[in-house]
Amino acid sequence: MADVDAARRELDAALGSQSVLSDPLALRLYARDASMVEGGCALVALPTTTEQIQACVRIAAAHGLPIVPRGSGTGLAGAATPIGDSLVVSTARMSRVVEVRPEDRLAWVDPGLPNLDLANHLRPMGWTYAPDPSSQQTSSIGGNVNTNAGGPHCLAYGVTSAHVLAVDVVMADGSLERFGAEGPEAPGYDLRGVVVGSEGTLGLVARVCVRILPMPPAVRTMLFGFDSVEACAATVSDLIARGVVPAAVEMMDQGIVRAAESFAHAGYPTDAAALLIVEVDGTEAGVSAQAREVEAAARENDASSERVANDEAERALLWKGRKSAFGAVAQIAPHYHLHDCVVPRTKLVEVLRGVYAIAERHGLIVTNVFHAGDGNLHPLFSFDRTVPGTLERVLQASDEVVRLCVEAGGSLTGEHGIGLEKRDFMPLVFSAQDLAAQACVRSAFDPHGRMNPRKVLPDGARCGDFAVAATGSGDAAADARDLPEGSWI
Amino acid sequence: MDLIHPRTPADVAEALRDSSASGRRVLVVGGRRHLDKGNPAEVDAELWTSQLDQVIAYEPAEMLAVVQAGMRVGALAELLAENGQEWPADAPADATVGGVLASGASSARRLKVGALRDTVTEMMLVTGDGRIVKTGARTVKNVTGYDLHRLLTGSLGTLGVITQVALKLRPWPESRRTLVVPGGLDLAIALAAEVPLAGGVLATPGGIEVLLEGWAGEVDELEGAVSALAPGAAPLDGAPFPRAPWWTWPGDGTIVEAAVSPSRVAAVVDGSEAFAALAGVGLAWVATSAAELGALRARVAAAGGIAPAVRGAGGLGDGPVPGHDVHRRLKASFDPAGILAPGRGWHR
Repeated sequence: MADVDAARRELDAALGSQSVLSDPLALRLYARDASMVEGGCALVALPTTTEQIQACVRIAAAHGLPIVPRGSGTGLAGAATPIGDSLVVSTARMSRVVEVRPEDRLAWVDPGLPNLDLANHLRPMGWTYAPDPSSQQTSSIGGNVNTNAGGPHCLAYGVTSAHVLAVDVVMADGSLERFGAEGPEAPGYDLRGVVVGSEGTLGLVARVCVRILPMPPAVRTMLFGFDSVEACAATVSDLIARGVVPAAVEMMDQGIVRAAESFAHAGYPTDAAALLIVEVDGTEAGVSAQAREVEAAARENDASSERVANDEAERALLWKGRKSAFGAVAQIAPHYHLHDCVVPRTKLVEVLRGVYAIAERHGLIVTNVFHAGDGNLHPLFSFDRTVPGTLERVLQASDEVVRLCVEAGGSLTGEHGIGLEKRDFMPLVFSAQDLAAQACVRSAFDPHGRMNPRKVLPDGARCGDFAVAATGSGDAAADARDLPEGSWI
Repeated sequence: MDLIHPRTPADVAEALRDSSASGRRVLVVGGRRHLDKGNPAEVDAELWTSQLDQVIAYEPAEMLAVVQAGMRVGALAELLAENGQEWPADAPADATVGGVLASGASSARRLKVGALRDTVTEMMLVTGDGRIVKTGARTVKNVTGYDLHRLLTGSLGTLGVITQVALKLRPWPESRRTLVVPGGLDLAIALAAEVPLAGGVLATPGGIEVLLEGWAGEVDELEGAVSALAPGAAPLDGAPFPRAPWWTWPGDGTIVEAAVSPSRVAAVVDGSEAFAALAGVGLAWVATSAAELGALRARVAAAGGIAPAVRGAGGLGDGPVPGHDVHRRLKASFDPAGILAPGRGWHR
């Protein structure tokens, strides 16, 4: 049994009582992340140093409290939603840029540093950090590491794992390890690579060494409107066939364009069926060559409108509409459920049609914005959960969207993670043996299951000698609403 | 020495199950191009992946190719070139895809294309006790479960046999040009810092090679940037980059692949007569001898790096391996009988 009082006393002594929260309001605030899943916790700790994180882990272990790592709480899959008598360890008070070393193309940062703060810190020095999730104003680098975060600019530059050189990790026993290296290779298995995207289940990220890149000398942002989503998606395929890998290719459907436009006033063509934002970067000549190919592809597909950002202010405006899209949907209905699926990019249109059909069948409003170049969809259901029966319809529709993406050859999540919301879908894409192998990775890091238990893997997955009951068929995938006791939607 | 020639992943699984049961120790072999990397391991059998050489799926519009691990890098390159694409391994043509990945080999164009490990999106593997496991997905972006393929990449065949991978591809650039520049490491580092988007800057005792690739006008523009810093730059159209990769170096003496943070690379190559150092990356291939190896490794360790041998004797080198217990438990889970090249991997 967890001894919460004893843990509280020891945490007070180690961190100072102002850094440990247990009042009902705080516990309520930390009972969820940005997903729909709510849980509960016993204590919240706000360490300010790596040593304090180690103390949190040791004290929690000694008193039987599971640990739930938390960055900014913007996660959309429930990985930071605590369950039961757990200790939430928030890195929000660890938010410094520790050092920037352009000569080594790296920066060391604290885990709680907001992504955009890092980008803003680097920009005057002529450097950039490529991953730019839509949540970047708030989401932390530590959280980005844990979800292997993406963002519009990951098409050309790759997701977070390609930009993390090393991580300092507080292990489940409170010891500190550095995985990866400042140099290009490190000895041993690539434990850095498996910590990235592990959703806080392998250890607590205490410091991150990120790869920084020189700002490209030139950039051009273009906006195209189309009369059909098919033409819009065909443009994406065509520009890739022309050998262009743009820095970003973002597609928005009419519903989301209208919401974004009335919110951000970016000058989006609200009569278009779909809109494409394409950004290319490189040298001046490289940008011109790519822009020429992109424009040709758009025209071949009968783009109904075309606009090029003439200056940085206009570029920022074009992006503002896209990046504020998820805020803008508040105009449609009070609640939303944002999805994250990834499919082969050639299946985009087919899957999008399927998403519309699912929404229609359940009488729901769906809008779509996605990283078209990556095949990463973000269908968004807008609804009012106070209307009886609506939430159930949203959850049913969400379930169908996940299955649709998997049937199209896709995967459960491109950048948001599995957390609690999708863990019971894991058997749709992995066999019992695959899941058991993953459970072995988890227990290699955390043999006693202290770090963020019950997240990512379904409850049946155990390492053992891989000997698990066969639950590998698609039909066996449990309903995603079978959440662990102590959590609910 | 037994030779095992599996034709299917199921054959691999069967062979490894048998080996685990009988205690037969196995070395996984691809094109034999990266076998010297690793500590000496006594084995009873070699498992050759050469017959696992099929293309499973290749849809150019997806910029992904799914191939079996025994496919030769050169054969894959030919297939992709027909569609104007490439997998930027920069490895010998007769190396296998699986061997390149299992050995954790680096592309000479890492400055621009990044780490080769980041191109793997899905993997099929067979564990030491013969279980077939899939990890990742055939999508360019994915965060569904743990990236087991990260562990296998660079594992030197000690955790499992890679049988199949999905690889992220890139378009073949419109133009590619190597410039030869007289100068040393300092100039190379300046070029890597000042020339935006260089494909690679390689310092050698005979001068600097700068690879430029991209759109035709872009390459001309970049050549101008190189010439502004280094007036003697001369183009060598059609030359490979590097002109002489480490596996073509004369003799059969030890060559190490040192990895340090980019600003420390001078500490690695100082005093060496045969080296090739990637400026801005921190990778350097250095020819050495049994007598000098210890001193070289001490210099690299002082610079915070590692220097495994990639050719000849020398193994991986000593030094702390972080997460020792995690390594031990992973090995016990994936190769419980310890039959996969015992002792070959990193250990302290």
